[in-house]
Amino acid sequence: MNNYKNFELKDWVEDPGFRRWVYRGEDDAYWTSVLKNTPLQAENIEQAREILLMVRGEADEIPEQELASRKANILDYISQETQIRSWWRRSWLQVAAVLLLTMGFGGYYYKRHSQPPYNAVLAQSGSRIIEIVNTNEAVKLVTLPDGSSVILKKAAKISYPASFATDKREVVMLGEAFFEVQKNPEQPFFIYAGEMLTQVTGTSFSIKANAADKQVQLVVKTGVVDISVIRAGNEAGNRHVILNPNQLVTLDRNSSQLAKKDVDEPVLIGLPIESQYFKFKKTPVKDVFLALEQAYGVHIHFDKQVTSRCNITAKLGDEPIREKMQMICEVIGAKFEMQDNAIAVFSNGCDITD
Amino acid sequence: MEVLSRTCVKQADNFNAFYSPEYWLQICEGNITAFGELVDHNFNPLYHYGTRFTPDKGLIKDCIQDLFLEIWEKRAKLTHIVSIKAYLFQSLRNNLITRIKKQSRFSDFSENEEFASQDDSPELAWITDETDALTSSRLETGIEMLPKRQREALYLKYYQDLSNEEIAGIMGLQKQAVANYIHYGILKLREYWKYKTILLAMIIDYIN
Repeated sequence: MNNYKNFELKDWVEDPGFRRWVYRGEDDAYWTSVLKNTPLQAENIEQAREILLMVRGEADEIPEQELASRKANILDYISQETQIRSWWRRSWLQVAAVLLLTMGFGGYYYKRHSQPPYNAVLAQSGSRIIEIVNTNEAVKLVTLPDGSSVILKKAAKISYPASFATDKREVVMLGEAFFEVQKNPEQPFFIYAGEMLTQVTGTSFSIKANAADKQVQLVVKTGVVDISVIRAGNEAGNRHVILNPNQLVTLDRNSSQLAKKDVDEPVLIGLPIESQYFKFKKTPVKDVFLALEQAYGVHIHFDKQVTSRCNITAKLGDEPIREKMQMICEVIGAKFEMQDNAIAVFSNGCDITD
Repeated sequence: MEVLSRTCVKQADNFNAFYSPEYWLQICEGNITAFGELVDHNFNPLYHYGTRFTPDKGLIKDCIQDLFLEIWEKRAKLTHIVSIKAYLFQSLRNNLITRIKKQSRFSDFSENEEFASQDDSPELAWITDETDALTSSRLETGIEMLPKRQREALYLKYYQDLSNEEIAGIMGLQKQAVANYIHYGILKLREYWKYKTILLAMIIDYIN
């Protein structure tokens, strides 16, 4: 035991461990035994405890659910800001640095491969073009106007119109990303990545298209993907392939050749979601949400206590995150709101019979 | 009980790692995930602090929300900040007092003069307050005998675990003034406690 025997009132008040016990009940067994073993300190301890409680006053906390929605509001607001302002609103020094870097890499790239004029492609849609770059280490989820999910790795970027054309959905991307495309046969989805054009109707896959790499790669997780080469070279060869799940295609930028091969697992860019099939059997909903948070890099706010009895048995496949959330919330009878990377779940709890 | 205390300890650990300078830098560089955690960890402590100044809970919550947006807005210029918690508390205090003063133009709010940052001597406050306390018949909570600013200093020190230096920054006081506030505050509260016990003993004596 410590030198508590010589403690004075002030020493008790000043002891951080003692305060944590008074305020939060931490290490209760320890402090109860201290109290028992130093009977002469009982008055000091009681006095210190009472003083500390007076100092705090009423313990008033905002309920978890309200806190979650307040936080969602904040994150919602700032992520909109970030998207709209993009990078040009930063101080000019930073912009200069970005330009220099782009010229550094881009200049090299342009010399070797003249990239198709992508902005022209998007401009056809006639709507404002949104460009999102993930500047963080953590992955960034982008939800496209049609509800499709795109998970960007660090330095990956994607450009898309604020609203898609009626007959097709077109996006331009560079870097490493995982796509879950909303199913819609009426409105095929096109991805321009380097010289590779990918066409799908609804499926999931990863793309690796780094500006500095000599090749562009894509691996299919679910569904069927149609790949073609945009820049028509002189060399004869394979310019068009159709990929099924667990197939990988490599486009060689120098020769413009496409090569297809089978893989055991559709893992290309090292994201957990590439090999995750979201199969749940009587899984507590908090674990389901944790899996989604990790896969998509989102925040899900929910009341752990209220939902402590909610379990999920389901197989969630390649639907975008919004659809996955819809299914889960239907099962547990909850509502949710989603704004960019923040999701707030409102639940009244579940019956034990579930 | 076992499980409960373990989760508490874990939270405390996270809390410490959370205030590391690296973490703050990530926020300044625009890491939204890190920023979200800043909101998570600080909303309730800030809210509780806000209840020191006004019973208007909605106003406090709005002020905190605005504060976080303001921080995000100017994050790139905040890299020099060392004590994040103290910075948050100080900013909330300033914003809240400004808002309360604005409102009080339309309503009676004489108390807020106490928040004004004039370095009055705590000893003097102690003496004047002593007479107040004697004339006051209500003595249920001893803390109410102390001037508001002294209460605030004690609260920041013991409930929010801030250092004298941080408290001085938050309240716009000299470090020594904070030390005095706290020293005399504890003395007074002890006095009150003794007074209460004697009173109780006398009552029990009287009843018997």
